[in-house]
Amino acid sequence: MALATAHTVSLQGSVGHLIDVQADVSPGSPGTTLVGRPDASLNEARDRCRMAISNTGVQWPGATRRVTILLAPSDLVKRGTHFDLAIALAILAACGEVSQRTLDDTLVIGELTLTGGLRSVPGVLPMVMAASRRSFTRVIVPEPQAREAAMVPGMTVLGMRSLAQVRAELRGEVVPEAAPVAPMSGSRLIEWRGSRRLTEHDLSDLKGVVDVKYAMEVAAAGGHHLMLSGPKGSGKTSLAERLPGILPDLSVEEALELTAIHSLAGALEPGDDLIRRPPFFAPHHDASKASLLGGGSGRVRPGEVSRSHCGVLFLDEFPLFRSDVIDALRQPLESGEVTIARGEESATYPARGMVVMACNPCPCGEYSSDLPGNRCTCTQLQRHHYSRKVTGPVHDRIDILRHVLPPTRQEPSALPGEEPETSAVVRARVADARARQHNRYAGREWRLNSQAPSAVLAREWPLPDLGAARLEQEVLAGRLSRRGAVRVHRVAWTVADLRGRAVPTVSDVDTAFRLRQGEALLQDSVARRAS
Amino acid sequence: MTDDDRLARVALSRLTEPGEAKIASLTAQLGAVRLHALLSDPAQNTPEARDVATRLSGLDPAAELERGERLGLRYVVPGDAEWPAQVDDLIRAETLDHRGGPPLGLWVKGPTRLNDLEGAVAVVGARSATTYGTEVAASIAGALVRAGHPVVSGAAFGIDQAAHRGALAVDGANIAILACGADRAYPTAHHELLAHLGRTSAVVAEVPPGCAPTRGRFLSRNRLIAALSRGTIVVEAAARSGALNTANWATRLNRHLMGVPGPVTSAQSQGVHELIRAGAASLVTRGDEVLEVVGDTGTHLAAPARAPSRRRDTVPPRDQRVLDAVPLARAAPVDSIATTAGMALLDVQASLRRLMRDGLVELMPHGWRLTPAANE
Repeated sequence: MALATAHTVSLQGSVGHLIDVQADVSPGSPGTTLVGRPDASLNEARDRCRMAISNTGVQWPGATRRVTILLAPSDLVKRGTHFDLAIALAILAACGEVSQRTLDDTLVIGELTLTGGLRSVPGVLPMVMAASRRSFTRVIVPEPQAREAAMVPGMTVLGMRSLAQVRAELRGEVVPEAAPVAPMSGSRLIEWRGSRRLTEHDLSDLKGVVDVKYAMEVAAAGGHHLMLSGPKGSGKTSLAERLPGILPDLSVEEALELTAIHSLAGALEPGDDLIRRPPFFAPHHDASKASLLGGGSGRVRPGEVSRSHCGVLFLDEFPLFRSDVIDALRQPLESGEVTIARGEESATYPARGMVVMACNPCPCGEYSSDLPGNRCTCTQLQRHHYSRKVTGPVHDRIDILRHVLPPTRQEPSALPGEEPETSAVVRARVADARARQHNRYAGREWRLNSQAPSAVLAREWPLPDLGAARLEQEVLAGRLSRRGAVRVHRVAWTVADLRGRAVPTVSDVDTAFRLRQGEALLQDSVARRAS
Repeated sequence: MTDDDRLARVALSRLTEPGEAKIASLTAQLGAVRLHALLSDPAQNTPEARDVATRLSGLDPAAELERGERLGLRYVVPGDAEWPAQVDDLIRAETLDHRGGPPLGLWVKGPTRLNDLEGAVAVVGARSATTYGTEVAASIAGALVRAGHPVVSGAAFGIDQAAHRGALAVDGANIAILACGADRAYPTAHHELLAHLGRTSAVVAEVPPGCAPTRGRFLSRNRLIAALSRGTIVVEAAARSGALNTANWATRLNRHLMGVPGPVTSAQSQGVHELIRAGAASLVTRGDEVLEVVGDTGTHLAAPARAPSRRRDTVPPRDQRVLDAVPLARAAPVDSIATTAGMALLDVQASLRRLMRDGLVELMPHGWRLTPAANE
């Protein structure tokens, strides 16, 4: 047969398009053409495949043959190097080296070297997920990425080291030895002591600050964005770093989404399993828009805001972030996804993590830290510029605001039985509250209160009359914007979920209002429920 | 004091509710022994009086004291070395809702001696407090104990608990005054706290061991909190809060009354704001300010809050005028500065020389300009 088809996937953002790689080998003037809008890196595939096939010990189609390779559908721009293996196999099938039948229900992913060896490529998990939805049941991937592909249920995964191995496997022959696949470029080259320090952190390390801890618990339970403000040294960072610790393990669905994003970002390492724990990212404040939101040259990579999907994105010193970055954060903060449009390409990635912002009262961080003797050296103008960086629209999208005070000289010592709660105890409560939300929103497009669309919330899960009246009063008094009222509505549900109530009560609304406005909480609401 | 007096007081305290002004005043006039004898006389003309006599004869105060001892309680009465003299101010204080007068005696559990509580300060407030209130209460209580002032409160939820907890951070007297028997824990959730205070400081009650707290007993307890202390701080109190009752007693006893303000929008602070507005309480915001009020004359003067002083603030007024006229970046000649300042050229020249000596201006090739120091 002089015509054969192999299947692979092209990724555009998180959308996977199924690509038929067709190879035609027929008499004509010698040469190889690759059509179907390949980009530069893909165009080089011709040469890679040619040498790979020759060095595998198979004859490249003879001197009087013309090889035409089509990547269909043709209107889509295709980029990446993972098409190599599919192209090579299509040519081998067209030459009768392997049977077309063996390629029919098989997804093929992998980059080739000139010796015919395979190399790892980014994005294997989302590609396999896309193929699985199109009822593919078998996938061939470079050996180190077999684990990643196997995370998709119901998929037969063949992890291979070279084209020769793939050919032998498809022909039903004994698979030859081959050199191991080189690790993907950009994998973690340095491991340093302390790189896993976050797992050591526990909420019980921090004494006092009960209101902030409660705010974190609510934020974690409902996935709400949180802002911590306070003078330097008040413990904002220590608190934020303990937030992932009170988040429950990811569900299988969440884990697949997140692992797929990390795969797209090329951040999965060989041997990495499905990501089960919520991620925590704390980019420095000089981060670029592309690194935070996604982009980059060539492929549109997901940014930190997407990589912390289902986890925590901590933006310390928030007002020091570049203004364009702060403003660009509006979309992910509001809709839980981020769209990067560029030329022909537009990629949308999920970004439903919690964003935790921390800010000082002024650039030097001393303002109001020590009231009787103010040590702040900033001018009024500097303070003004600093606070103005957090624009109104961003402020409007923050669900919970907390002021953190510097610890007093001596923290009250704990009595027996009154030690601060550990992260595990709080995590269990958060998990319960999340389970309630999963039940309530079963079959919906969202999982947590913070993601519920306001219109649906108002229609199907309104606040009880008294609670709604309380909010209306605040709106009329000008203390709360309409958008703010919606935020309070969502937080009120989370507060009720944490307290195990079927519907928010007036006191839940009151607590939510105080959380959002940064007001002091009632002691009863933060007191431990156990005693 | 004789044992008879002590026994008579135990019996009388069983007979009556705490803080009954009538009994207190009769005790003061007749003495506890005489009053006890008169009331126990079975040959009385009214049926009520005969009931009282029967009830008194049914009591066994000696056994009661023994039982108290087994529970780790001692009964302190007037005349004992441990009796806190400041409580006797209640004799002269006006009654409030028929309540008043000094207690017949005090049941005490714990090592702290009540006669050491002269400098004590009460920190009281709402049970339904906010985290703001509890933070301030804890920090003020800590500062008081650190400065050697015992802290007194009522071991209730909210502010009371925060005050005890704040005082716990430092070693020092930390007294809980209860409306129930000193052997009981009310509220029960504060069992650990009260047990700890009973071991390290003191838990005090006017009612005999085993008694349950009632509304009336809380009100009587409040007068003791105010009377034992040199001053009372109300941290948070809604418009109708029990803490205002304590505040009322502090006023009647001519004790210092202080209030910690909150946001004007907070319902939890309304009562405090009303006290301050009416002039009954002075406003305090932190430990130093409380110490200034309750400390001995001339000690603990709190430094007023102020911004850091700048060098140019110390310049005399006329030089100040010149300084204001000197440009920041581009130097200006002396005549232009004189015009801007509206002063005579010679004066300005002399001023500029002085300012240069102080390092506030510098002489450039084209005139004068401010130094960075002048702009700090």
